[in-house]
Amino acid sequence: MTDKQAHIPRLTIWWMLGALALVVAPHLLRLPVWISALIVACVIWRILIFIGRVGFPNKFLKIMIVFLALPLTVVEYRGSGAGLDAAVCLLILGTVFKLLEMRQRRDMLIVVCLCYVLTMVGFIYSQTILAALHALLTFIVITGALVTLQRDNQRSSLKGNGKLALRLVAQAIPLAIVLFVLVPRIAPLWTMPVPVSPNKTGVTDEMSPGNISSLSRSAELAFRVSFENNAPLQDQMYWRGLVLDFFDGRSWRRAGSAFQSYAMIERFDNRLQGEMQGGAVDYDVILEPTQQSWIYALQLADFDASDIRQDRYYTLHTEKPVTQRYRYKMRSYLRNETDLELSGILRSRALQLPEPDGNPNSHQLAERLRAQSSGDLDYANRVMRYFREQPFYYTLTPPELGEASIDDFLFNSLQGFCEHYASSFVYLMRAAGVPARVVVGYQGGETNPFEGYTMVYQYNAHAWAEIWLEGQGWVRMDPTGAVAPERISEGAQAVLGDQPGFLDDSRFSMMRFRNTEWLNTLRLRLDAMDYAWNRWVVSYDEDLQLQLLEAFFGDRAKQTLLYALGASFLLFFIIAAFFLLGGRKRDMRDQATRLYLRLLVDLADSGLSRRRGEGPLDFANRVAESRPDIAADMTRITALYVRMSYAQDAQDESFGELKEYILALRLRLSSPWRRVVLRNFPAFRT
Amino acid sequence: MNPIDAVKPWFSSRVTRWLERRMPAVQEISLHRKNIFILPTGPGLLFLTATILIFVTAINYVLSLAFGLAFLMVSLFILSILHTFRNLQHLSLRGVGAEPIFAGEDAAFVVLLSRQSNQEHEMLELRFPSSIWSQADVLDNEQERVKVFLPSVRRGLLKAPRLTVQTRFPLGLWRAWSHVDLAMSCLVYPHPQEGPLPGLVGGSTSGKSESVKTGVDDFHGLRAYQTGDSLKQIAWKSLARGQGLKVKQFVDAVDDQLMLDWEMFPGMESEERLSRLCYWVLILAQQDIDYGLRIPGQEFSLGRGDAHRGKLLGALALWQGGAL
Repeated sequence: MTDKQAHIPRLTIWWMLGALALVVAPHLLRLPVWISALIVACVIWRILIFIGRVGFPNKFLKIMIVFLALPLTVVEYRGSGAGLDAAVCLLILGTVFKLLEMRQRRDMLIVVCLCYVLTMVGFIYSQTILAALHALLTFIVITGALVTLQRDNQRSSLKGNGKLALRLVAQAIPLAIVLFVLVPRIAPLWTMPVPVSPNKTGVTDEMSPGNISSLSRSAELAFRVSFENNAPLQDQMYWRGLVLDFFDGRSWRRAGSAFQSYAMIERFDNRLQGEMQGGAVDYDVILEPTQQSWIYALQLADFDASDIRQDRYYTLHTEKPVTQRYRYKMRSYLRNETDLELSGILRSRALQLPEPDGNPNSHQLAERLRAQSSGDLDYANRVMRYFREQPFYYTLTPPELGEASIDDFLFNSLQGFCEHYASSFVYLMRAAGVPARVVVGYQGGETNPFEGYTMVYQYNAHAWAEIWLEGQGWVRMDPTGAVAPERISEGAQAVLGDQPGFLDDSRFSMMRFRNTEWLNTLRLRLDAMDYAWNRWVVSYDEDLQLQLLEAFFGDRAKQTLLYALGASFLLFFIIAAFFLLGGRKRDMRDQATRLYLRLLVDLADSGLSRRRGEGPLDFANRVAESRPDIAADMTRITALYVRMSYAQDAQDESFGELKEYILALRLRLSSPWRRVVLRNFPAFRT
Repeated sequence: MNPIDAVKPWFSSRVTRWLERRMPAVQEISLHRKNIFILPTGPGLLFLTATILIFVTAINYVLSLAFGLAFLMVSLFILSILHTFRNLQHLSLRGVGAEPIFAGEDAAFVVLLSRQSNQEHEMLELRFPSSIWSQADVLDNEQERVKVFLPSVRRGLLKAPRLTVQTRFPLGLWRAWSHVDLAMSCLVYPHPQEGPLPGLVGGSTSGKSESVKTGVDDFHGLRAYQTGDSLKQIAWKSLARGQGLKVKQFVDAVDDQLMLDWEMFPGMESEERLSRLCYWVLILAQQDIDYGLRIPGQEFSLGRGDAHRGKLLGALALWQGGAL
């Protein structure tokens, strides 16, 4: 269409605008307001150009727009550190600008291809089922735009082109699935900047009064775990995140800010001291994006993944912050002992107390209890008993604590959430010379009855303590359990469900309706679906691929992969070619005979069947005698049919005529209901 | 000389010969596996580039769904081979021919497209080399006629070159085409050249030698339309030929017979004589007179009517086998 190069079918613009709107819509809320406004303005401008209200932007204006938008974007994203967001923003702006100035077929094609790329960009931010469905719809619309660009005849209509695009995409899906399953997944070629989400939720690396209880306001998912065999009991499910061992009198932090970076994580070569022993649990975690670089596991974790490191505190770190759902496999030995010998630096860190220390009453309490007890363990149990016996109250909304936070909590308010108990417990330990540290993470989880995996929510966030005992190493102690044992055995939900503030941030979350039976079932079903999606689609990787192939090909899966790929590719092509190209050459005479025979069936239904050996002309005469009302039609049809069947120059036009007459007669013969079917569904005519 | 330019004629002659062998000229040809070619288009390659970009991003960001998207695009690309191919398959082309034209006009070759299966054929494009595209669809009807234009330069028998029939439907990612020779030709009359009839030669058949007055006053043939002219006098044929609105001016024939002769235009080149003769055949055909034609080697007796006119014009077109 060389000489029609500049010509664009009118309908195309609407398809293009539709495709662009679909592609850009998910980004509009995420982008800075002024950029979103600019995008909307450009689209409206393009519509106005199209309906002839305004002209195309002139060169000066175009240059102005580009030269203003570029630096402004750079300035906008300068502080955020992630080049990706800026790049995505520029890509969207570029597409919209191109849309504004497109006049030619070639411009359209570029915009179409950019729209395909932008569909992919959406996946950087979200890979949920909803995002996938949205992308599929977008894909169909973009393909529709491509069809409309090619189709410039009376068949080109919104509905017609949409149907064709839908058919093309539907036919393309089987091969796409095969490729998805079989094409070998390659490791990233180079490192890429990752988008940073501004709202971080979840456990942080600093614990001060109030910041874990604030998590209980959220019903957001933290991670999902599927256990290979039996899940441990609720009270065993302590998902270790970070160890916080530096106390400044108010908050707990990791010792030294140097720990912040991956490179500075204190590693040790013989990862674990002593043999792994007892209570092995295998499980598979899908972590929701945390924007942090540590992950959660049961103590004591063992793993194969090369991108995970375990540090001296047995906490686990990833190379990069987790910005996408992240899946990892773990094996934990629940009864394992760690650090039977405590090195000097760890010991001194585990005994650190703020200086000057403003909690004299707590010190006195520690000294008094220590004097009564026979050893470190006995002392710890006495402190636990103290928490249990004194009127401590487990609440989401404790009163503000004063300057001396430990004293104030232990002797004044006595109301607190897990961070208060963990914090004061570790303090009392250290005050009596027992090495102790705070651990933050999640505790418990809800089992999905449909798929059997465990869901851990933000409100499961928890803080507990670990103390070091001679001969036993680090031992977990949970003072919250002393105050509110149901919190540990039955989960946060059971204890906090009625408290003001619980799930306040998730006002519309289905979690709030968990007491309504059917809504709760729906919630669990949806979550199961989402989980399956994540497990099988979003985190589909080399391992899963191999696992799947092994199920089919056994040990030789890896070698057969390429053959399987080639074979299924060929198979698809052959099947598609068979269905698409297999349409046999048509003989008009055969068609005419088929139509005529179909008419005979209808006539037989109304009591007129052709006798054996009776020719069409004789039969027509007999029909004319017994049914004078259809005599004329029958004679005409028979004449046409005979001419088509026996004359050499059977014309295509007379076939059309025959088809029409036969349909008309069949409509007259049939019942009202059949008439409707025959009229509206051509497929039933033959 | 550019080496590519040097190779080009050689190459194209090889291709032509190959095509001659593979698809000899026939009046009707049905397109199938063996005579349809298919290759990706520029936009197709752009589409593929976008696919590769998406694939690389999917690898680097480990985006499972982006892999899916890339694979869906690959799948669509491959599938559209079949769809584009199918759009030409089982299409039958028959060369119907072309109405005679005058040199310099575009010959409109009529091609009959018919489908031989239930498959519809959309957005077909046909053209002769370096001519303009004609677009056609074969949808509800079994057959469609399409005119394909070919400019003519000189009189004679214009043999239609190989016809290119192509389609990019439905996605424009692939182009399927065929070069078919439908053995069509078009009679090209000389370009009519206006001018007075300088010599007088009597109609020999009648035996009388009567004269026609020549001169400016008597006969102008056609002149431009002016307001007020009678509608009956408008030269509809010349309007239809795209020569503008003209009015026939009637000659006051002293005689109702006229014999056109080669010798009426002494001192002119033979092509110019033919053009002049052609003009006068056209003029006389519109008059209520009998006319004849005498050219070297051929003589046509007096007569009238469309058939007579066609015979004369044809003789002019093919005199000495057409213009060189």
